[in-house]
Parts: sequence; C-alpha cells; structure tokens
Amino acid sequence: MSMAILSAEHSDQLHWLGRYSERVYTTINVFANQFDSMLDLKTEEYVDFCKRQDIPNIYQSKEDFVKRYCFDETDPNSIYSNLMRAYDNAIVLREEIGSESLAYIQLAVYGMNKAKVSDAPLIQLQSVVDNIVAFWGMADDDIDSECVRNMIKLGKRVERIDLYARMHMPPKELKREMKRLNLRINGAGLKYNQVKLAHLNYMVEVEPIDYDQIVGEIESLFDVEPDQMVAGF
Amino acid sequence: MRTEELYRYSDAVNELLARYGVKFGIYKNGTFKEQLFPFDMIPRVIGKDEFAYLEKGLKQRVMALNEFIKDIYGDKKIIRDGVVPEEFVYMGSGYLTQCEGVMPPKGVYAHIAGIDLVQGKDGEWYILEDNLRIPSGASYPMIARDLCRKSSPATFEENAIEDNRNYAKLLRQTMDYVNTGGHTVILSPGRYNAAYFEHSYLAEQTGAHLVTGNELVVENDNLYFVDYSGKKERVGAVYRRISDEYLDPMNFNPESVIGIPHIYDIYRKGNVALLNAPGNGVADDKGIYYFVPKMIQYYLGEEAILHNAPTYLPYYEKDMQYVLEHFDNLVLKDVAEAGGYGVVFGSGMTKEEKENFIAMLKAEPRRFIAQEVIDFLDINIYDNGQVVPRKADLRAFVLMGEEPMVWKSGLTRFSRNPDSFIVNSSQGGGFKDTWVMSE
Amino acid sequence: MRRLSYQYYMQLSFLHPVERHHFTLRCLPMADVGQKIEEQTLQITPSYVGGYETDSFGNQFVYGIVRDAHTHFVVDVKGVACVDHSIPIPVTELHRIGMFRYPSKLTKTGAALKSLLQKCGTCVEMQGAEDGCNALERACMLMDVLYHNFQYEPGVTGVNTTAEEACELGRGVCQDYAHILLALCRMEWIPCRYVVGMMMGEGASHAWVEVCDGKEWIALDPTHNRLVDDNYIRISYGRDAQDCTINQGYFYGSAEQTQEIRVVVEEMSYDR
Repeated sequence: MSMAILSAEHSDQLHWLGRYSERVYTTINVFANQFDSMLDLKTEEYVDFCKRQDIPNIYQSKEDFVKRYCFDETDPNSIYSNLMRAYDNAIVLREEIGSESLAYIQLAVYGMNKAKVSDAPLIQLQSVVDNIVAFWGMADDDIDSECVRNMIKLGKRVERIDLYARMHMPPKELKREMKRLNLRINGAGLKYNQVKLAHLNYMVEVEPIDYDQIVGEIESLFDVEPDQMVAGF
Repeated sequence: MRTEELYRYSDAVNELLARYGVKFGIYKNGTFKEQLFPFDMIPRVIGKDEFAYLEKGLKQRVMALNEFIKDIYGDKKIIRDGVVPEEFVYMGSGYLTQCEGVMPPKGVYAHIAGIDLVQGKDGEWYILEDNLRIPSGASYPMIARDLCRKSSPATFEENAIEDNRNYAKLLRQTMDYVNTGGHTVILSPGRYNAAYFEHSYLAEQTGAHLVTGNELVVENDNLYFVDYSGKKERVGAVYRRISDEYLDPMNFNPESVIGIPHIYDIYRKGNVALLNAPGNGVADDKGIYYFVPKMIQYYLGEEAILHNAPTYLPYYEKDMQYVLEHFDNLVLKDVAEAGGYGVVFGSGMTKEEKENFIAMLKAEPRRFIAQEVIDFLDINIYDNGQVVPRKADLRAFVLMGEEPMVWKSGLTRFSRNPDSFIVNSSQGGGFKDTWVMSE
Repeated sequence: MRRLSYQYYMQLSFLHPVERHHFTLRCLPMADVGQKIEEQTLQITPSYVGGYETDSFGNQFVYGIVRDAHTHFVVDVKGVACVDHSIPIPVTELHRIGMFRYPSKLTKTGAALKSLLQKCGTCVEMQGAEDGCNALERACMLMDVLYHNFQYEPGVTGVNTTAEEACELGRGVCQDYAHILLALCRMEWIPCRYVVGMMMGEGASHAWVEVCDGKEWIALDPTHNRLVDDNYIRISYGRDAQDCTINQGYFYGSAEQTQEIRVVVEEMSYDR
C-alpha cells in the first residue's frame, strides 16, 4: 500500500465503497427484521418497506419480494446489485485499501452468491454481513493513509443518515449518526457544502423531523460532476 | 521432496486464490466475465545449474533484442548488412514509423520481457516466442507462492527454493532506473481488462500508483497526475499495460479514449519513461523470431545459448522447398496472429485444406513460418485426485535495469485438455508455480 | 525561383462549447532545400499551452491544449517562402528510405490497383526502353495512366478512403490521386512519399507525391499530371495522408462542428 496520491476518481470510488458497503449492511439487517415480523403477521409489510426505501414496488408477492429484493441481479435496487456496486468500487482500489481489505468484499460477493442458491438464504446472508464488518475492521486496521480511511468512513456515515431518514428512524438515532458524521467530515479533505451541513445539524434537532428534506440535503452534501467524454474529430 | 504434502492443500490454496480475487477477465458473447485462473499445486522444478544456463541464455537473448530495436529505429545496420531482409521489418505489424529516431531514456526498450520456452523430451529447452510488448503473468506465481508457503511451510523449510516474491522489487528497480523524475505509475486500460488483477496487484506490491488514462495529463512538456484536490504531481515513469495503438490518440489510434493525449510527444522529448517502449512489436513478430539467433551473432558476436524451435521461412526458396516436402510434419503459424490463434498443423489438414493452404503460402510466403513439431516433455498435474501428464510451457521474465535481471521463477502454464498443445490462459489453461532451486 | 506569400487559415466552430481541447497541427511550411521561409507568423486562438516538436518524418508541428470552454478554434499561418524547385532534394538518410517502399494503411494493394497497374504496361512496351527506365520515368508513366483513368470529383471520397477504394470508384480528389500513385509506385518497388502543401491561387491545401530515384526526391503532382514547380509550397511528408494530418484534435464535449479552411498563395514582386 503506498501513501496515497489520490485522484478525484479514486476519492469518489472510496466514498461510494463506503456508501454501498453500508447500504448492504443496513438493508440486510432491516430486511432480516422485516422478514421476521412478516412470518407472524403475514401482512404485505414489504409494500411499506419499498415505499420507505424509495424503491418501486415491482414485486408480486411476499415470496417474490424476498427472492428478488435480496438476489435479483437485474433489479438495480436489490441487495445483490448494491453489493456488486460496492465490489465494482473496491476492485479498482486494491492499491489504496490493500489486498487484505479487498479480500473481504470479494468474500462477501462469494457469500452472496452462495445465499442466492441456498435453501436458507437468511443464514447465508449472515456471511455477507460478517464479511462487510470484517472489511471495515480490516480497513481501519490495515490502511495507513488516514485520508483514505476517512473517505470510506465518511461514505458510510452519509449513507447511514440517508437510509435512516428514508426509514423514518427515531430522532435519537439520527442525532447520533449526525454527530458521528460531524466528527469525520473534515478528516477526508473533501469539499462539502458547509451551509447544508449546518442545515442538517439543525434539522435533526427540530421535531417533527422532516425526513424527506434530510434525504435531499444529505444526497447533495457533496457535489460530484462526472465527466462526459467524447473523442473529437 | 514432499510434493504429496502440497496436494493435501490444493483446495485450500485455490480457495485462498479466490479470496484474493486472482482472476482474469474474458469476454463471452459480448459480456465481461471474471474467471478464476486454475492453479495446480505441483510445481515445475528447475535445478540450480539448469536455471543458471537458462538465465545466461535469456539475458543474452533480451540484450540482443534490445539492440535490434534500437538499431531498427536508428541506423538500421542489420538491414544494411543484409542480415534481416527489410520487408520483415517494414511489413511487420509491430513496426511503427512514429518510433523512428526516438531514443527512450537510458536506451532501454525491452524493460519487461516475457520469453516463452518449452522443454523437449530430449531435455533441451526451446524458445517459442518473445513477448516484448505487455507480457503478463508474473503476479500469478508470486501470489500463489505466498499462499503455498502459508499452507505448507514444511515443504519450503525442507527444500531450498529461491523466493520469487522479489519480483515486485525487481520491477520497481527497473522502473526507477529509467524514471525521468517524479512518481511511478502503472497505467491500466481499466478493470475490464483481462489482466486487471495483475495490474492492481503489481501496483500494490511495487508501491506504484495504479491509474487510468483520464487521471494523467500532459502540460508544459511534462506528464502529471492530478490529485483529488486539483494538485498536479509530476510523473516520471509509466509502466503502461495498454497497447501502443491506444497509448496516445494524438500519435496513434485517434479513436482511443483510454490513452493520454500528447504523452508520446513528451516521451520523444525524453521527459517521461514508457515501459515497455512503444514500437517493440517490431522485434517479437513471429517472422523476426527466425532471425534472433542471427541477431545475437550480429550484435554480441556470440553464439545463441538458447535455441529456437527449428524454424523455416518460406520466404527463402530453400526453406519453401523444405516446407512443401515435409508439410505433414510441420506446424504453420501466421506471423500476424497471437495468443495461440493462426496456428495449424500440417498433419491435421484434409487434402483440400492442404491445397488451399499451400496456394496461400505460395502467394504470401512472408506471412507464414513453419516449425518442426516439438515433442514436449509433459509435466504432471494433480487433477481430481489423480496425477496426470499435460503439455506445459514456461514464461520466463527478464527485466532490464542497469543490467538484465532474470526472475528466478516464471509462469508455467499447462493445457487442461490432454490432447491440446495450446497452453494459453485465454484458451482455458491453468498455471503452476515455478521453483528454481537454490542448492 | 519565386517568392510566394502564403496564408493557411482554419476555423473550427463548435455548436456547443468544448473544453480540454488537445491539438496537433502540421500546418507550417518546412524550411528545407529549395524552400526558404523568409518570414512566418502563427496565431492560434483561444490561448493555449503547448510547444513545438519534430516528428519521425522531419515535420515540425505545434501541439498543445486549450483548457477552457470555447466555441471557436482558429489557426492562422502567414508567411513568405522563397521557392526554387530546380535545386534537387537530396536523399540524406538513405537508411530511412525503406519505410517508403512498402504499402501503408491507406495505400494497400488490391484488385483495382493491380488492374490499373496492368494498364500501365511495362517500360519496354510504353517507351521501347530496352533496359527498362529509371524510377522517375516509370513514375511519370504511372502518373499519366492514372490521370487518364481517374476523374477529379470532390465529395465522393473522404479522409480515410484508401487508394484501393478510390481506384475502384474511379473518382476522387488530390489525396486520392496521390494515394493511388503511391500504391502503384510501391507495387513497382519505387520508394515514394506523400506530400501535403499549398499551391498558387486560392482554395484548400493540396497533396502530391515525391519519388526517390536513389539520389534525390522528385515531386510529381498526379492531380495535374505534371512535375511540381515553383508554384508549390511543401508543408509535410509521410507515407500517406494519415501521417500528414494538418489538424488533429481531441476534446471533451459534443463533437458537432463545422470547419472553414482558406489557403491563399500569391507571387510577390522582388522589390518590396
């Protein structure tokens, strides 16, 4: 692992590695709880789940939801797709995060593929969660560059607030996550919108919480403009 | 030696290789797929003295090839002296006029050479092919060794084997030797390249930065890496894993979107080192291969230590005669093709195919070379609990720093199909570690 | 000998602004044997960073980058050249002739070219020259046959049209004439190169051919079926048009654009 000189592209990829790893972790946990209560209630609780997650309800039934939301590689909102996006970002960052950290994302992918064909997908999904957590631990322990570590963590924090707001988590939880974001945000050396950060800090203190506005503000905290490239002549 | 000990860990090591993402990419029906590169635990073992002989021969060969490239893009003495006919140079697809009169930093063209050899049943080694453009494969035995040592430490305790994990150090030395000042980067076409694992692994191991074209920019006659805050850092050496054609849209293929505009212009000025040098293809062409022993004689005044597989050039009337008379015993190769493609066996053709081929050969004699079919020495692989013989070759790596250095290992590729002679990984082969004994 | 004033003006207009515009321009008449550049100015707008370099054919070129967004890119070269084609262009680097003897990408041999070459007959048939003829005589014969078997017609071929394609079509512009003559000469083992330049009058850039007779380069204009004289100004050499691209660009943005080119060459009086 070299002391990073880091391109804009790689800094972006570190951020999204943090975000997607968090998204996989949290959505598996939330899904597991949901699945558990669905067993007893036998309601169409997943309809509400989709609404909160801001994803289209394209599912036919509870069973269809379980299968496709978890494992459908053609569904861009599935946990599977989100894990693949985490992988896509990680694979190009071997030099920054190191082979040891990268291996856990790879193992999470293998775990996901096993879960997909398993009779007990929930049990197998545990290995995905385990490997994501191991990835975070290894990244924390093994990556020399503080800036690189912070970029991943910052992505993770941003994603968690985003998800919690979408899921209308209690204000206490959001306040806690905002506090953790504030601690991290200057460590990565990334440019962010300070007015928006102040506004977010204000919004989590005001009840009732305007969850939709929080989602909007956190999503635009960093402005990233991807290049549109056309070769001329 | 207790290689049996190694078999026991075969699955464990392959699992670890999967864990670390040791894969190569292939395109199947237009979509990109990553495939594990099957690893066989039984190493190829080369004795100390035998490797010393190979080492000497490989250094000699790469030095002559480097001189040849320098000469071709410079004074062309070897053409003027009638040793190599000029059409083999100018008609070859690897010759680039853009390289005429351009001298790379420290005169090094072939920084990283991958030389493919096979061992015949008679024990003799033969050179199959020189790869002077972007030879890949060193990362696989490197990481495999690391994992084998973990799984069976006793094997490595009991046997005196040269450690091959120093490849990163040799590569770093090679890059630093020609660096013109600034950072060292490895330029990859991106993660959808077949050898992306290797690009990223070598970056991690050498401490060079892995980049894609859009992270580098040419300004004021220098090459810069632009960091995320917009700060520019000068780059002095680029180990590029993209082909000449795509390197610079302003000097080569204008359609390339993975290159760096103007990088070749500042290379020409001597402001950045490119490893390997553009234009090297002129020397690793299948047609030029025939002339390598003559080059060694011409530039170094020495007899070639390592032999080519017996090769005939139908371009020469005498050789054409021989090829026509012994057609069934020969393998014919199209000089423009690579990776195991464009290879046909005389004995495998129907009467009609043979007639067509001979007509083509007569019309374009320069396009083909013919070689005696070498009786390969099979080497054992461990396949589903059984030890079976398979065809295998060896890619040796020669790195040109201040002095040529031969990596004391190599990539041994084998064919998984018992009837196949083709060991190329893009055609479904596997790989082995190569042990060079130190005692 | 003639004193010629020249101007090469090119304007690219982009429909939408482009940025990070890299360019390489081979648009400067060369200072060479028989062609003295007395004065020259080059203006490129908008402002750019870059420099000068010489390529493997000895052509000087300008390259650089315009970083900021722009909708126009203008190149304006003006100068005075003293041209004397009676001074032979010696072959200084004999060892570099080889690359001009073999087909390049745009001058590859094909059926149409082979059949055109057959129409050219042999030296014996054409001139009764028992011992054959020299490279220049032979090239002139090839040029003459080409001229009478090819129609000048703009707009039917493009910058990437090969000699074979143009030959099959039977029509084209100066680039195609030059490519076909190059292909014919190379089939006969005569080393020859592509030349981009300007010609007396007003219009666009022009292209012709130089053949090597072993000692010197002799310039032929196949579009007009004549030897090049003091009305021509040389800009660059190469194996074919691809080596001599006047303006090459690479930029970020939409590629929709129009190009305007104006070339003016006029004779100047000796007393200024």
